[in-house]
Amino acid sequence: MREYPEQTAQGSLSAFADIVREQQGMVFGLAYHFLHDRALAEELAQEVFLELHRHLATIESPRHLVFWLRKVTSRRCIDQTRRRSFWPKFRLDEVPEPQAVTREADPLLSRALARLVASLPEKARLVVVLRYQEDLDPADISQVLDMPVATVKSHLQRSLAMLRDKLARTVGEIAI
Amino acid sequence: MKTLWILTICVLVTVATYGQALDLKNLDKLAAKANNVTDVTLDGSLLKFAAKFLSSDNPDQAKVKKLVAELKGVYVRTYEFDQEGEYSESDLASIRGQLRTPGWSRIVGVHSRKDRDNAEIYLKTGGAEPGGLAIVCANPKELVVVNIVGKIDLDELSELGGSLGVPKLDFDKPKPTKPSSKKDD
Amino acid sequence: MSYLEDDLRKALRRTEPSEDFVDRVLARVNRPAPPEPTWWELLAAVLRPPRLQWVALSVIVSVMIPFAGVQYRQERQYRAKGERAKEQLLLAVRVAGSKLHQAQKRVLEVGRMDTRL
Repeated sequence: MREYPEQTAQGSLSAFADIVREQQGMVFGLAYHFLHDRALAEELAQEVFLELHRHLATIESPRHLVFWLRKVTSRRCIDQTRRRSFWPKFRLDEVPEPQAVTREADPLLSRALARLVASLPEKARLVVVLRYQEDLDPADISQVLDMPVATVKSHLQRSLAMLRDKLARTVGEIAI
Repeated sequence: MKTLWILTICVLVTVATYGQALDLKNLDKLAAKANNVTDVTLDGSLLKFAAKFLSSDNPDQAKVKKLVAELKGVYVRTYEFDQEGEYSESDLASIRGQLRTPGWSRIVGVHSRKDRDNAEIYLKTGGAEPGGLAIVCANPKELVVVNIVGKIDLDELSELGGSLGVPKLDFDKPKPTKPSSKKDD
Repeated sequence: MSYLEDDLRKALRRTEPSEDFVDRVLARVNRPAPPEPTWWELLAAVLRPPRLQWVALSVIVSVMIPFAGVQYRQERQYRAKGERAKEQLLLAVRVAGSKLHQAQKRVLEVGRMDTRL
């Protein structure tokens, strides 16, 4: 279990590059779905991996590595929104109505959903992205975000209700 | 109930403190758990280099320039955590152990049971080597360790109150207490 | 499992960054730290008067452009490093002064409590 962290701790850049390739989809995905800005997400993802390189010696296992990356990426996402108002804050009801789509037209629905998720409040947004991108259960999300499990569940419940309501106005009743 | 114990209050005009830099490597692992980290390491030539960029025209910077003139090193580590329990007393054991060696004296120790706040100030005096000042402040969500090596004037450091964001401290006049106004039932 | 949750999984699936992402991360990891100023650079900073410095710089720029370019970059790096070091020093003094102040304040409060008893 300690193979590649030890290898990289000894300074092997190619091993570190392997880690980056393996985890870039997760880190960049989290940042992109949170920030909804590709360039900003790439910059943030780079910073996360640079920080990982600095702290590589403290990583104890592959499982710890993934946990560490999720935690640091989440924290940097929140810091990013606090540092500058790059992402215009708007309420769900101000989001333009997506075009009426049928269930088969996934790309449009996916894009609309991604935009709706990106308009959620920050903490709720992170909870939703961790839940549905990473398939984490509320207990795992609670550990990553240092948030009580009840709060995680509350965020999930309210966010799903908001998203369901918004989508229902365009595509009809959402079957649950 | 607040538990408060004070060892000594020293308001010295000049403290010629002698000692070497503390080994703070044991704290590095806390960075991964902390939400915010401040890490300042200025020793020898880097400290002198930094001091050269202080402006003598700016009164605050001029004071700092004077303060650091005879210092050999300045080291600061601050860690802010999102939740309690991210560090333990054992993380501080190495530093406290170094501060119990001969030459170091704890001149201020303040402990608040209610706020779970600890603040300790140590001085190292005597000897041919450069002196030392150490400050260790610990509360459940923040840890601050400051180590200054060299001859430092505590009065001058206190005098920076009001500038650089350091609050001014009024030693002489205690604030008058308002008479309590109990409402009758 | 609801349709909405299925759709969310599809909408929020992991996304790859640009193709050269790994290369860019490695390039930043490998970026060398700026060189420490040499002893003569430190001495020159102390002895060189500001006016003469700008006159010398403009002569160099007008006469020896390639060398001036390199020297200008090194100068900027030197100043940038100095400013960063200065900010760190001010931060350190601020933190030390603040914590000293807090401890002294507590001590004074105890002193006042004792005199009121």
